[in-house]
Amino acid sequence: MKSLPIRMDRTWVDEFQTKVDRDSDWADWERFQLAVEAAEAEIVPTFESIQSLKQIQGFDPLPHQIDVTKRVINEMRGRAILADEVGLGKTIEAGLILKEYIIRGLVKRALILVPSSLVLQWTRELNQKFQIPAVAQKKGWMWDQYDFIVASLDTAKRDPHRSCVLSKHYDIVIVDEAHKLKNRRTKNWQFINELRKKYCLLLTATPVQNEMAELYNLVTLLKPGQLGKQTDFQSDYVAGKRKAKNEAQLREEISRVLIRNRRRDSQLHLTKRKVKTITIELSPEERALYDGITQFVRSKYREGTDLKSMLSLLVLQKEVCSSRDAVFHTLFKLVKKGEEQKEEVSPEVAHLIRLLRNVRSSSKVEQALRLIKELSPEKVILFTEFRATQDMLLRELTQAGIPAVPFRGGFNRNKKDWMMELFQKRAQVMVATEAGGEGINLQFCHHMINFDMPWNPMRVEQRIGRIHRLGQQHDVSIYNFSTLNTIEEHIIWLLQEKIQLFETVIGELETILEKMEDESLEHNLMRIMLETHDEAQIRQHLDRWGDTFHQVRHAVAVENEAKEELLRYEPTTN
Amino acid sequence: MNQQQIRSFTERYLRLQGCHIIESGPAHITTRLSIQADKDLLNRPFYWMYVEKMNIEPQPVTLNLVFDPANQPPGLKGEALFFGAPRFSQILRSAQKHGRFARLYQVPKGKEAFASQSKAYTPWLGVNYKLSYICDQKKDRLLSLGINLISGEITPDFYQQAQSFQWQSKLPAHRHLLPPRLSLNEAVGELEYVVHEQIQNEDLSWAEQAQERCEAELAQLDSFYPDSLSEEAERDKKQRREEIVWQYAPRAELHCINAGLFYAEAQTFS
Repeated sequence: MKSLPIRMDRTWVDEFQTKVDRDSDWADWERFQLAVEAAEAEIVPTFESIQSLKQIQGFDPLPHQIDVTKRVINEMRGRAILADEVGLGKTIEAGLILKEYIIRGLVKRALILVPSSLVLQWTRELNQKFQIPAVAQKKGWMWDQYDFIVASLDTAKRDPHRSCVLSKHYDIVIVDEAHKLKNRRTKNWQFINELRKKYCLLLTATPVQNEMAELYNLVTLLKPGQLGKQTDFQSDYVAGKRKAKNEAQLREEISRVLIRNRRRDSQLHLTKRKVKTITIELSPEERALYDGITQFVRSKYREGTDLKSMLSLLVLQKEVCSSRDAVFHTLFKLVKKGEEQKEEVSPEVAHLIRLLRNVRSSSKVEQALRLIKELSPEKVILFTEFRATQDMLLRELTQAGIPAVPFRGGFNRNKKDWMMELFQKRAQVMVATEAGGEGINLQFCHHMINFDMPWNPMRVEQRIGRIHRLGQQHDVSIYNFSTLNTIEEHIIWLLQEKIQLFETVIGELETILEKMEDESLEHNLMRIMLETHDEAQIRQHLDRWGDTFHQVRHAVAVENEAKEELLRYEPTTN
Repeated sequence: MNQQQIRSFTERYLRLQGCHIIESGPAHITTRLSIQADKDLLNRPFYWMYVEKMNIEPQPVTLNLVFDPANQPPGLKGEALFFGAPRFSQILRSAQKHGRFARLYQVPKGKEAFASQSKAYTPWLGVNYKLSYICDQKKDRLLSLGINLISGEITPDFYQQAQSFQWQSKLPAHRHLLPPRLSLNEAVGELEYVVHEQIQNEDLSWAEQAQERCEAELAQLDSFYPDSLSEEAERDKKQRREEIVWQYAPRAELHCINAGLFYAEAQTFS
């Protein structure tokens, strides 16, 4: 090194001279000392140490998150693909890295690009967890006004925003859901490539979805040439769409820009799931209603209804497994529709309404109250698919003197937060209709009741995921309510006995379901139920569906392992 | 800084800023800010513009600063103050802003204060620098230097030395000042020369390594792009080159934290 360039800031000399000339506004000795101490506090004396860990409050990053932060800063030099599996906290890792660069004054202007549905959540996390004054981009003028902006990639890449964003220099660009950049010929990829940036983090749980070229494209955004020229990459490393050659060498090159933590590799063992099916016998009145509805649904189906009506029949069939109130809601709508068309209420609907009136109490509710009282004071989250059931449950719980709060998708962010806080601090029960949606973390609760069962395995998994996640200290108890001799019993059998949805986390559930390709399980179930009459036959159909599920699951796992092999990191020991 | 240090720093800051302490509990402090502190910490310039234009009674904000959230009084709506909290960063910034330039006179020791003959004070310029070493990473250190404005003699650790004496803002009785021979600009030039020398003689292996990383990346970039390039590829390559230099190029930056004119007896600094 010949000589190190040094930039000496001299702007202060004039200021000082002005003070001397005017002879006023001098600081005294104490203030002078306080200023030095303030400056000393902000000094970072070493390159490698991670300061951001000392400057966060309210949560403790997990060991693998700290490790990622160190590797990205000290080894990857701030350009990296963060590819942890879902649920291991890539947002936390990105936040720690960003915070570290801000503390050191290496980042003064940051752009965080995420799917539009996650803009507010990212902004909140950066504000609350990391005290980073990030704002959500809403208006065009904000690109110029704020230094830390969270924006939707789809907005940013379109004019007039595009030209505005491309005219700036960003010390760091963070892209969440970066698998959207897998194709070099897309606007997304070209936009990120054109952005002027010093550091860059790409976050994705699936760096290789379909072919190896995707990974090549991601790496090229960070460091063109890291995996060689495109043609060389094809001939050196690619044996097939998803098959690599010269694996050891490729793996090493990849590990210089990509970090992937997997649940099973790290010490991130989740607590156990304990599953209990609680069988419930319907009262004679409830039985009559169930049979009445089932017959009604079947006869309508046989009359040959269009798809839309079939969907509402499906709802009705599910509702009758949930509560009288839920059925009432749909029947009421049917009647009202009839009135509008000046038709008499059909005798079959009138019959159903009579049956419904006869039902005075709910066996499921009684069971739920019993169970919740047994578990008291432990907290319980109770899931139902239907608003009407939710309202009814809240009424019943209140009547029984059990403090309960509602939760549903329609609540705005503040109300959701408020309800979560009430649940944590005041209530014993949360009655929820919605499981999806990020930022709903209920680790302080470890009992869950499936008051009714969604017919879609993804929704079931989402429900469990609310409480069975990193940070949960206890084993999680799942209580499935199953009414004897109803379709519900079959579904719970399928989900629990046949595909073991509850006990274990099925990786790639979404992929498996997508690959099964025929219509959704919900429609499948509906048809099986409507077209077969005897129970044994239903069971047989479901059994076959379950077998296919297992085959596809196996195939997906085999394919994934081949991909994972490439992303495995082996720290060199020397 | 631990919570104890944060509290004592904050207390000193509030006192020096003339803030009124309403309540001081084991876990928190309730304070009504002075106008100056309100302007620095609350960031509400429009309010202050309004107050000053309309000539109305200013209402500085009252803050509940909590140092130990686990033990704060129930019902208190306060904000936690910890290292990394935005409010504490503002306090640090404000403290630096108000202690930037000083002119100080050595406080005479005991009986000397009443000497019959006037004693001469020599002028020194003392500067506290923050020296940052930057590549894709960054580290800093404090560097304090002083220069005798008559002889041009330079002393290291000036601030540390000054701390073993007492300083006041008014010239004590029976003391007179010797006129400086060096201008401020000349003196600063001398100090910068010394800093420059110091840095070039330091262990610069970190900078060499950063330079190597930079060159390796540039080489990789060259091998990635073919010799003849489309206009678009040419632009890509140029941009990426600039980014690599921006990311890795090693350099140092020198900033002044604060500076003062110190008038002292001969032989005070060595």
